[in-house]
This record gives sequence, structure tokens and C-alpha cells, in this order.
Amino acid sequence: MGAAVQPAEASAASTPLTDGPGRLARLRAAALVLPGVGWLVLFFIVPLLLIFVVSLGSRDALDRITLANPSLDNYAKAFDPVFIPTFLNSIRFATITTILSLAIGYPIAYWISRYGGRHKVLLIILVMLPFWTSYLIRTYSWIILLRDNGVVNSLLQAFGLTSEPIILMNTDLSVILGMTYGFLPFAILPLFVSIDRLDPNLIAAGRDLYASGRDAFLHVTLPLTMPGIVAAALLTFIPALGDFVTPDLLGGPGTTTIAKNIQELFLAGRDWPYGAALGFVLMIVTLTGTLVALRTLRREVAGGD
Amino acid sequence: MARERNRWLSAYALIVYAFLFAPIVVLIIFSFNKARRGLVWQGFTLDWYPKLFSNGELLDALTVTLEVALVAVIVSTVIGSLLGLGLARLTFRGRGATETLLLVPMLTPEIVMGLSLLLFFLQLFDAHGSLAQLWIAHITFCVSYVAVVVRARAANMDPRLEEAARDLGASAWGAFVHVTLPLILPAVIAGGLLAFSLSFDDYVVTTFNSGVGSSTLPLYIYGKIKFGVTPEINAISTIIVAVTAIAILIAWRAGAFDSGPRRPVADEAAT
Amino acid sequence: MTDRHDGSSIDLEKELVRYMVEHRISRRYLLERIALVGGAAALAPIIAACTSSGGSASAAPSSAAPSVAASVAPPSASPSPTAQPSPEGALNILNWTDYLADDVIKSFEDQFSVKVTQSFFSTTDEMYQKIGEDGGDYDISFPISVDVPNMVERGVIAKLDKSMLPNIVNLGQEWANPGYDPGNTYTVPYMWWTTGVGYDPKRVKEEPTSSKALWDARWKQHISMLDDWQEVFGLTLIQQGHSANSTNTAEMDQALALLEQQKPLVRTYSTDTIGTMTSGDVWIGHIWGADRFAIQETIPDFAYYIPEEGGVKGSDTVATFTGSPHPVAAQLFINHLLDAHNSAANTNLIYYMGPNAAAKEFIDPAILSDPTINPDQEIVDKLEELLRLDQSVRDEYLSRWQQLRG
Repeated sequence: MGAAVQPAEASAASTPLTDGPGRLARLRAAALVLPGVGWLVLFFIVPLLLIFVVSLGSRDALDRITLANPSLDNYAKAFDPVFIPTFLNSIRFATITTILSLAIGYPIAYWISRYGGRHKVLLIILVMLPFWTSYLIRTYSWIILLRDNGVVNSLLQAFGLTSEPIILMNTDLSVILGMTYGFLPFAILPLFVSIDRLDPNLIAAGRDLYASGRDAFLHVTLPLTMPGIVAAALLTFIPALGDFVTPDLLGGPGTTTIAKNIQELFLAGRDWPYGAALGFVLMIVTLTGTLVALRTLRREVAGGD
Repeated sequence: MARERNRWLSAYALIVYAFLFAPIVVLIIFSFNKARRGLVWQGFTLDWYPKLFSNGELLDALTVTLEVALVAVIVSTVIGSLLGLGLARLTFRGRGATETLLLVPMLTPEIVMGLSLLLFFLQLFDAHGSLAQLWIAHITFCVSYVAVVVRARAANMDPRLEEAARDLGASAWGAFVHVTLPLILPAVIAGGLLAFSLSFDDYVVTTFNSGVGSSTLPLYIYGKIKFGVTPEINAISTIIVAVTAIAILIAWRAGAFDSGPRRPVADEAAT
Repeated sequence: MTDRHDGSSIDLEKELVRYMVEHRISRRYLLERIALVGGAAALAPIIAACTSSGGSASAAPSSAAPSVAASVAPPSASPSPTAQPSPEGALNILNWTDYLADDVIKSFEDQFSVKVTQSFFSTTDEMYQKIGEDGGDYDISFPISVDVPNMVERGVIAKLDKSMLPNIVNLGQEWANPGYDPGNTYTVPYMWWTTGVGYDPKRVKEEPTSSKALWDARWKQHISMLDDWQEVFGLTLIQQGHSANSTNTAEMDQALALLEQQKPLVRTYSTDTIGTMTSGDVWIGHIWGADRFAIQETIPDFAYYIPEEGGVKGSDTVATFTGSPHPVAAQLFINHLLDAHNSAANTNLIYYMGPNAAAKEFIDPAILSDPTINPDQEIVDKLEELLRLDQSVRDEYLSRWQQLRG
């Protein structure tokens, strides 16, 4: 299948970093990886374990967490069918947002990389600049743009495309728009980084091999930038699944997400154990799905050798 | 044909940038809104700008936000980049587990991460929230993002380049600093930019790990929802954008963005 | 909360309060005097002072009070407690943003040389998490009244030292002994409010009086409800003739059914009532009464009513905590908030009514005379308060709320 022109890297074997006497090499490997792993274990895994313990507990009459009768009851409760619609909402929004972010982000990352020239870094920073303002105010600005008597509706009516305002706010559309907007830089950056590294000789070779520019792109550029695409997809899909603020602020009654359910259980419901259990269920489902997808993707990319 | 594609692509790029900046234009315009609260334009005024400079709490919040973001970005970029590099280039036992470990913070619901850290610091250190706690919390959620971006770039890197450097007499450290590092630098910077955006705007994890004197700008802003968000917030956002834009412009004119690996001659012939 | 004054004789209580405030004596001091020299002897000079200085029988404001200010009233120095321990140099407040008038904080800082630091939250549930089991590092916060008994039982809230709170006499009589905190032992009330329906008369071209207006299909996709399960179910249960705090699951199911019917008409469930209503997308919504004034800054004729079927009222409190680092400063601050001028200043800022009878003279007359923000006592008495329900009851509601929102 996809006759991808692979860089000489292929499956990561030992590299110069680990060359040399075994112990020194292992030490170097440790130096690279341990700070990150150590940090995450200490400040992420350990707190998570605390919350896991909480998920096995329950509440006393005063709503305090008690571990008197640890059980998996909260997990059984977490599989309540009432969460299916909100879970599907989350999946739906995350998927569409990821696809849109990749589709919109790739061409612009490509443009910046190939035509940005001296201004490449500047152009990338410009992509990030809007996001160094307040999230809430950006959302309000979207409301001003999308509301019934907002800018978009006014323009549509001014150009005679509509005679009455169309409802754009508090819909699936506004949520997807808001989420895509919010995650676009998370897609553009890794895509850019990957595209920018492309060896132009390979691109040139591809153009020689294939008759049309489109084929060259599909069979050479695209597969070579696959790690960037995968990274962009991960950085978009995974956090989007847990995003509850955007669907909450820009959405309507039909856009409730499972992340919102979890938030509500912790705060309004004052039920940490239950919220924690539901949170873990979501995490495990997401993690499994992601790992399966990644493995399938790797197999597919590697298989076209 | 290359030029045609250039034109379409350039037009497309313009549209995307317009999309990115549309809400920002609205935000800036509404910083001059006379209305105290509400989303309706009620006339032009410059009052919010001087007002915000006398708003001690708002300025304190901004300072705290920058203090947190700076530390979070630096530390998470360093350890995240090392982690990403290691994952891309090395094989070691537990590599798969480490890759999974990388993903888990990103898929943890924010409320779970925020409250887990609250619990952690409360139970183990009897701590109630502080600047240091915010540093730790922010670094924690930023590391994965940096690592994923750097890993993608490092995975594309030709290991023979480093080999060549070694063959030419460089030490392992030297090869790292003079060959590997410059090659992954764009990814490191990209990761840093992402980390900054994540930290600057974070709400949920921050609210449960902040304490007295460590309220960030998002906490101040969201606290305003109940009684009305005033255009002061638009004003400060506008100033931040303006200051950043000016700083970027100065850096650009000074040629700070001109460095980068030269393209080989063959490329110029091909394009 | 109208004055029960009947205008035909001296309102002793009111004159007593005024005398004490003017002469900076605490209630405790007065009571001690009464105990020492007998009631008549202790009160005689007060009554003499009142009648001689023209404290007449009319309902006019006391002569010692400045005229009603339309804007933020100048804060006054609070009467100092008799034996005053010196305050610590700092005070940590956990608060909504803009919930305390700047002048109130500044005057406190100046008077007692205390540095006030505010920290913020955006929902009450967040507040409780940050307060934790002993207040965290916070000295002052504003728990909702119905949550107080639970917090007292858990040992979160600290007992008040009444000797340091002479201004407590400023509270209206009806707040002297609230159900959630008998005798105001642990907290003092801060603000109170009603929840009802608000609408834009330019869009809703009639004057609804029932909460059923929120179910009116003519306003389809222009209706909003609060994103608060207790408020939403409360409104619905009252409409159906039940108690807002019903523990009956059949009644809950009925309410859910009615809410499911409403759902296709609802544009959004949101607690950002000011943002939602001023965006123009929502024409009629479930809001808190005081929000109406804030919304009126943008929509001048925005209307609000308490549903004829009945409505909900609520209040919050000021409290200090068992683990608070600056207890003396905290008590002094609570006393400071009870000062008439300061209470009025806060009301004038956020438009919520306070429980402070003495403050009424300094509150913006527009707020004071507004029957929707400041309804008559008879109306208020009919409103129901949303109580803190038992865990199992709460879970029943929450699961139905999840069903509704799914």
C-alpha cells in the first residue's frame, strides 16, 4: 500500500546517544527520561492514586469522604445509561473538532513552512497570539459575533442571504466552532514542526516520481509528516474530550458533555467518590481507545514499507 | 503551477488568520464600550484603561499569572523536551509504559487533576494553596504537551547526523548540544508556546491550587461573572496583545527570527 | 422588609439603636448597666436624650443620619468594641469578584492598619472546596445560609465573639434569630435575594405573572433557565403546587416530566444571567432578582417578577473559620460590614438587599423602593428557602437533573 518514502530512521534502534559503554549509555538515557517521568509520577500519578482511593470510598452524613466501606459501587454506578448521551456528545465534539483542526491546520502549517521564509517564526507566534487573552472574553466575543443580532447575522441579512436571524448561538455549530477555534493552535504547532523538517530533496524526488502534485503530496509529503499529524490529533482529540467549558458557555441544552457530568458530581453533587469513579471510567475508555488507534496507525504506517 | 498554488494557499492563510483574530478584533473594540456590564455596545469611552491601572487586584492577578506561567513554561519545556527526545530516540525497558504515562495527564478531566493535587498537597503537606503549588500544578499539566510535540519532531530526525558528528570527533554531549538540540529547537519553542497558552488561561486546576495572594487573572475574571464582567477585562487583554505584538515586532526587526537551518541549494532549484 | 413602625409612639428599639451607635456603646454594655442599676434607671437617660433632641414619633429618618445618597455612601468608622484586642496585620477574604465595595475595604484597612487580600471563586461549590475543613488560609468568606449548619457540625466555622460585634444591633429584627444559625452564633447574614423570572418587555410584549411563562412556546429558543438543579426543580415544584424542598420522588418525577417538556424551548441553562440576558438571545429567563438592576444598565426597561405561584428566597452569611490565621481582624471586619454605611455601600454596588435595618437610610432609593428587589415582608414570608437536603434526597434530584441535561 501507500508507497511511502521513509526516512532512514525506521524502527528506533540504538542511537549515538546510547553508544558507548553500556552503563554510560543507560545513564544518558536516564538523564533524558527520568526528570519527566519522575515529575509525572510524583505530581501526577500519586495524586491520581489518592483520588482513586477516594473513588473506592463513600460519603458520611455530613458529606465528608469516608473510606469506612471501600467498594467498587461507584464504578458500577458510573455505568449508568444516563451518561451515554453526554458521553456520545463528548466523542462527537472531540472527533469533529480534531478532524476540522487537522484539515484547517495542515494547509496553514504547510503554507507557513514552505512560504514563510524569514518570517516563519513570526507567523507561528501570530497563530498563538490570540490565545494570550482571556478565554472568557474570547468566548464573549464569539457570542457577540454569533448571537441573533450579532455580526454574522447582520452581515447575512445585509447581503440578503437571510431575512431573519438564524440561531447560531447555543447550538452544536457554536460549540464546534468554539472548540475548533480553541484547539487550532494545538494542531497547527505540531503540524508545522513536522512539516518544516521535511527534507526538500525527498519532496523533489517525489515530484519526479509522480505525475501530479497531488499524488506527490499524498504519497510523499503526507506520510512523511505522519508523526506530526498523529501528534496534532493527540493534542486535539484528547483534551477536547475533557473540555467542558466551551460546550457549557457556547452550547445549549443538547450539548452537555460527560466532563460536565463529572464536574457536577464533584461540585454541585458534593460527591467526590462518584465523580472520581466516573472520571476514571472516562479516562480508561479514552486511553484504551487512543492506544488501540495509535497501534493500528503505527501498524499501517510501518506496513507500507 | 507553483505560483498558482501559492496564491490560493496564501488566500487561504489570510482567511485562517482572519478567523483566528476575528474575536480579538471584537474584544479590542469592546474594550472601549461605555457599558459597565453586558454585551451590548453603548458608546465609546477610553475610561477603562486608566481605571484598570488603579485596580490593584487586577494588576496583582496579572502579575501572579505571569509568574506562574514563566516558571511553568521554563521547567515543563526543559523536562518535557528531554522526555520527548528520549522517547523518540531511545529504546529502553518501560518505553511503552512511559508513552502511555505521557498521554494520561492530557486525558484526565481538569476537575480530577485539580482536586487530586488539592488533596495531595492538603493530606501530605497540610498546604492550602500557594504560588509554589501553582507552579507544580501547571508544570504537571504542561509537560505532556511539550513532550508530544518534541517527540514528533525528534522522530523525524535522521540519527545519522549525530553519528556523523561523533565520527568527526564530537563527544556525546557535544553532539547533543551542537546537532540534536538545534534540530529539535523549533519543537521545543513550539512546546513552550503551547505551554504558555495552557498556563495563562487555566482555570479549573488553578482555582483548587491557588491560595491567598496567588489569585491568577482567570480566577479574577471568572469571579466577575456573577455580578457582571466589565470591559476592564477587555482592556487588559488588549494591552497584553498590544505589548506582546510590539515585543514580537521589535524582536523581528532585530532579526531574532532570522536564524534557522539553511536550506540546501537543491531545494531552491526544486521550488 | 418594611419597618413595623406605626408612627404613633416612640419606636424604642430604633431609638435605642441610634443612641447606642451615636454614643458608641455596645449592647452588652447596656445590658450590664440594666443589670446593675435596673431597667428604668439605665434606659431613662436614653429616653430623655431621644425626646429632648427631637427624636420624634414620626417615621422620618433620624436627625443624626446624613441625607440619602444616590451613589456609594461614604463609609463611617465603626464603633470600636469595648475591650479591643489588637488586630493582626492582615486579613484574607475569599469572595466573588466585586462583592465588596472598594471603599468598605479601604476604610477597614485604614482604620485598623490591616492589609486585606482578596481571593476569588466563581461558584459557591468552588468556594466550599477551597474553604475545606477549617477555612484553608482564609479568614472571611460568604457561605450560603442553608449550608451553615453542616459547616458548623463539621467544625469549619468558628463561633463569633459578640463582644466584638456591637454593630450587630443594626440587623433587622427578622434576622436576629435565623433558623439556620439561632442567635447568629456562628455567622451574621450578609445579603439576601429572591429568584424569579426576568424578561425584556420589548420582546415579551405583555406582563406575565406566572412562572408558566417560561414554558410558553411563543418564546421558543428565547428562554433560559438557571444552571442550578435546586433552583430549577424548586421553581417547577412550586409551580406544580409542591414544596420546593420536596422529598417525594413522585413529585420529583412530575417536575422532571414538566422540565422535559420545556427543554426544546430552552435556549440555554446558564448562571451567567447578566451575560445571557444582555446578549439579546434570551427574552425571558429564570434569574436572581438583583440581576435585574445589573441587566437594566443595558436594557433599561428590563422587568422582573416573583411568580404568583410562589418563589424562592435565599441568603448568604459572613463567616470566619476555625483555622483562620487572623481571627481578631476577622471579627473586626465582620463588625465593619455590619456598619450601616458599609452595608449600604455594598448593596448599592451589587444591588442585593442586606439584612441591615440601619443601612436602609443610605441605600439608593431606587433599590429600596423597588418591590422586586425589596418586596414587602408579607411577600417575603411566603417565599420558600431552598434548604440543604439530605444526601439521599439530593442524589435523587441530581440523577433526574442528569437525565434532563443529557
